[in-house]
Amino acid sequence: MAASDVARPVRFRRSRRQVGERFRGRLFRVYIPVAIFTFVTLFPFYWMAITSIKSNSELLDHTKNPLFVLEPNLQNYIDLFTRTNFIRWTINSAVVAVLSTSISLVCSVLAGYSLARLRYRGASAIGWGVFVTYLVPPTLLFLPMAYVIAQLHLFNNYLSLILTYPTFLIPFCTWLLMGYFRGIPRELEEAALVDGASRVQAMVRVVIPLALPGILSAGMFAFTLSWGEFLYALVFMNDTVVKTVPVGVVNELIKGDEFFWGELMAAALLGSVPVALLYSFFVDYFVAGMTAGAVKG
Amino acid sequence: MGHTEPAWSRRDFLKTTGIAAAGLAAGPIIAACGGSPAANPTPATAGAIPKPRPGAQIRLLQWVSFVPAADDEIRRQAKEFSDANNVQVTIETVTGDQLQPKTAAAVEAGSGPDIIQMQYGWPHLYDTACMDVTDLVDMLKGKLGSVNQVNDAFSKVNGRYLAVPYCQVPNAWTYRTDLWQQAGLTNFFSTWDELASNGKQLKSKNLPPIAVSLGHAYGDAITMWYPVLWDFGGREVSSDGKHVTINSKETLDAVNWAVDLWKSGAISQNTLSWLDPDNNQAYHSGLITGTLNGASIYIKEVYTTATNHKFAPVTSNAAMPKGRQGASTLNLIFNHAVMKWSNEAETAKAFLLYLMDQTNYTKWLNASVGYNAGPFHALTNADVFQQDAKLKPFLDVVGAGKWPGWPAQPSKATAQSQVQFVIVDMFAKAVTSGDARSAISDAEQKLKRIYELPS
Amino acid sequence: MASTTTPRASLGRLAGPRVRIFEHEARLGYLLLIPALLLLLVFVAYPFLFGIWLSITNSQIGVNGHFVGLANFQFEQGDSVFIQSFVNTVSYTGITTVLKLALGMVMALLLNQVFPAQRFVRAALLLPWIIPSVLSTLAWRWMFDPTFSVVNWVIIHSHLSATGVDWLGKTGTALTSLMIVNVWRGTPFYGIALLAGLQTIPVDLYEAARVDGASRWQQFRRITVPMLRPVLLVVLLLSTILTFGDFTLPYVLTNGAPFNSTHVLSTWAFAIGVGGGYISIGAAISLVLFPLLSAIVFGVMVVLRRQE
Repeated sequence: MAASDVARPVRFRRSRRQVGERFRGRLFRVYIPVAIFTFVTLFPFYWMAITSIKSNSELLDHTKNPLFVLEPNLQNYIDLFTRTNFIRWTINSAVVAVLSTSISLVCSVLAGYSLARLRYRGASAIGWGVFVTYLVPPTLLFLPMAYVIAQLHLFNNYLSLILTYPTFLIPFCTWLLMGYFRGIPRELEEAALVDGASRVQAMVRVVIPLALPGILSAGMFAFTLSWGEFLYALVFMNDTVVKTVPVGVVNELIKGDEFFWGELMAAALLGSVPVALLYSFFVDYFVAGMTAGAVKG
Repeated sequence: MGHTEPAWSRRDFLKTTGIAAAGLAAGPIIAACGGSPAANPTPATAGAIPKPRPGAQIRLLQWVSFVPAADDEIRRQAKEFSDANNVQVTIETVTGDQLQPKTAAAVEAGSGPDIIQMQYGWPHLYDTACMDVTDLVDMLKGKLGSVNQVNDAFSKVNGRYLAVPYCQVPNAWTYRTDLWQQAGLTNFFSTWDELASNGKQLKSKNLPPIAVSLGHAYGDAITMWYPVLWDFGGREVSSDGKHVTINSKETLDAVNWAVDLWKSGAISQNTLSWLDPDNNQAYHSGLITGTLNGASIYIKEVYTTATNHKFAPVTSNAAMPKGRQGASTLNLIFNHAVMKWSNEAETAKAFLLYLMDQTNYTKWLNASVGYNAGPFHALTNADVFQQDAKLKPFLDVVGAGKWPGWPAQPSKATAQSQVQFVIVDMFAKAVTSGDARSAISDAEQKLKRIYELPS
Repeated sequence: MASTTTPRASLGRLAGPRVRIFEHEARLGYLLLIPALLLLLVFVAYPFLFGIWLSITNSQIGVNGHFVGLANFQFEQGDSVFIQSFVNTVSYTGITTVLKLALGMVMALLLNQVFPAQRFVRAALLLPWIIPSVLSTLAWRWMFDPTFSVVNWVIIHSHLSATGVDWLGKTGTALTSLMIVNVWRGTPFYGIALLAGLQTIPVDLYEAARVDGASRWQQFRRITVPMLRPVLLVVLLLSTILTFGDFTLPYVLTNGAPFNSTHVLSTWAFAIGVGGGYISIGAAISLVLFPLLSAIVFGVMVVLRRQE
């Protein structure tokens, strides 16, 4: 893979091989399947949207057709913004996600470069060890982790999440970036070294810029996982104003005997919109980054 | 599983080395918005009234109540107490079934809120982390009278109070009087056998059924099936808590009764995955005629406009029925524990004293509109129960209350059996398969693993 | 640090092609690992070792126990719910992985084509993976609700069945519901990863094959699949591991109901350990799969590295 290809996101027009196909063929092989996929994927979101604009009485009325709304209203959204701390929760989630992603990326870039490029004893074992941490289920980890957090006096503090989220972000990002670094030709680095740069300078000035798409996709992956994490956020964050979106929503929209479905669904939609917007901007980069990284494995 | 007390526990070892290394180094760097600086705890003399320490900060962790007004009232009282005594009391709320993971994490970590609302028998589960508050409870008993037997059983561990009795969420039957009349029924059932015949009559008139959860509903499932078991004479375990006695003729009677109920359509067959909100939702939609629940259904219909009072005029409540061998009820029980790691134990105790003061507590009870009932003798009769006669059944069920695992005392084993829903599952398995005996022996096997094995 | 060309120093035991090994390369290597290792050591290794210690003692929450060897594991062998959870976990992971792979492959092939609104569709198809699992699972719970299920409404009103399905109340359908939600949530990840892999396959290979008369299926088998293997391995590995340990989905959707028959290992461990306080048994249940999964990871790593 030439370096110039690596730097740009892959454009999809390159893979056009349908020149000369007949429309009916395309209909059955492409358009209909795509429509089916889109429908099945998006139906729950449609359902969430419908539920969020229904009033409570319409929601529990089993005689009406649930697929349509007769009297749409935005009361659930209004309540979400005025009667809960939803905006704060979104900010909290964003802060935690951005910071933990940044930390993970820094750690993963350094570790990935080290494991991919540098030769030293134990590199394989450490690489394996880093990945093996995925095998430990969070339901086992969270209790002893609570103890560690308590010792560091980090309960109710954003740092408790910012420092623990990388534990499940770093392994995959490292793995991904390792593959990506391996794909960058050694000659480019060696050229820099011959020119008098140190290894570190070569890394920073040559390798990392070329790896930017991969770093970006690793970052998006990390952001998504941080955004949706639930268990640690539930246990470590106490006050309602510091809760993240999943925890705040579940805690405050389920009261004893009652699920506030309308508001819950409104929150579910609004809680995924920011990340979806992010993806739509960067989806080309994301795909390209996954390519090179994963292929080189 | 036995209790063990290693002389120098791993935790202590880690504490001294770990804190010295990690904690102190990290402390200055971290801007702690939650970790309060350690204050010198004021020594308490036995019998002395706890006094709040000016400048103290304490947190109380509790569940989110169904009635928002009740939580608002608690917060108001917390603020009142804080202002009057120059302290800061924060009330933290989480959804009911997330209260336990948070509590477990706090206990494992040895750090967390100063007061935790202990549901059911948690003081027995977390006995190593709860402070002995016998003096405080004795003080309250002096003022407010005797404690309800269930709060007592849950709060008292080995003769000492490890939690201050707080309240009950009574469960009683809520039903549609109009549908009842349409079925030609005059009185609400007062025995379990009558439930069966009433249910069948509803079915014969093609009316919506009676429905109770057979799923893993945190509250609703156990408040039904434990009393059924007890009232037929069945017992999970012997009174000394050592021998599993579930496999008996009485249990078989109870399970067969349930199977018959199910097969004949006397109760809804739709409830195998019901959680606590499901019967509420079904009732408000008019899909069921009656169910066993806290006062939430009634409150929502009558005291809020959420359902536009659709069924308010035709909703009524009734107390638990009797069985051939007893009349039992089971309600949700909450008690407050002051945690051992709290640096402001005196302030915490003082706050609990404040909450349990008769005037304050009654205000809270009234704000709850019948959803809660008091554990002390003097606190049982709030105005709200007098003003609304339909709420009275919720008061009536408090007296006959028992706890999961009765007649044995609450323990870690009874808590384990409860959390695994062994009794509820026994009924659920029996009704779906029709085979009562295998469901019972399956339950027996599970209970033996919980109660009788050493591990 | 100026680079110096040191005489080639072989470190003896290092197999593989001879490389120029700079002496300070090792130092830099270890140095760069420090941030990641530090975080992982403090926040994963320590809790993990503590977890292992818990599984071989008889601790309970708040009570330190003493060493009991493998007693917890032996104890669990007699637990019918544990055995059921084990079976559920394996079938849940196995079936959903196969489905996600197949559907992901189809999705990737489709997205590789050109059609209108392509970018929108691609972003939209990622949504199930983006939305926090807790919230999407709650939405599905509402869709499968025993009383108000919209799925049942559609089934009944299109006359496929008179009563609908008790999605969450019968073991078979409850397990199926878990798998449906998991596949819905996880397919996009496979789809996008495989799409990325497809992008790197040179178009000429397909042209050449077509000229040679190869059918579409033959092209798929002989070109697409082999070239996708590296991507496939990484994605499969990651997804399998995450699905084995999946907690949020089964917990929110069924939490074991009906009668503890839909537990997976993580939710059952949670119930016994956190709910009932027998934290040691909970730890033992959580760790049961660890040896197997480690072996799988190691195996895949070996295969992948050999591919270079």
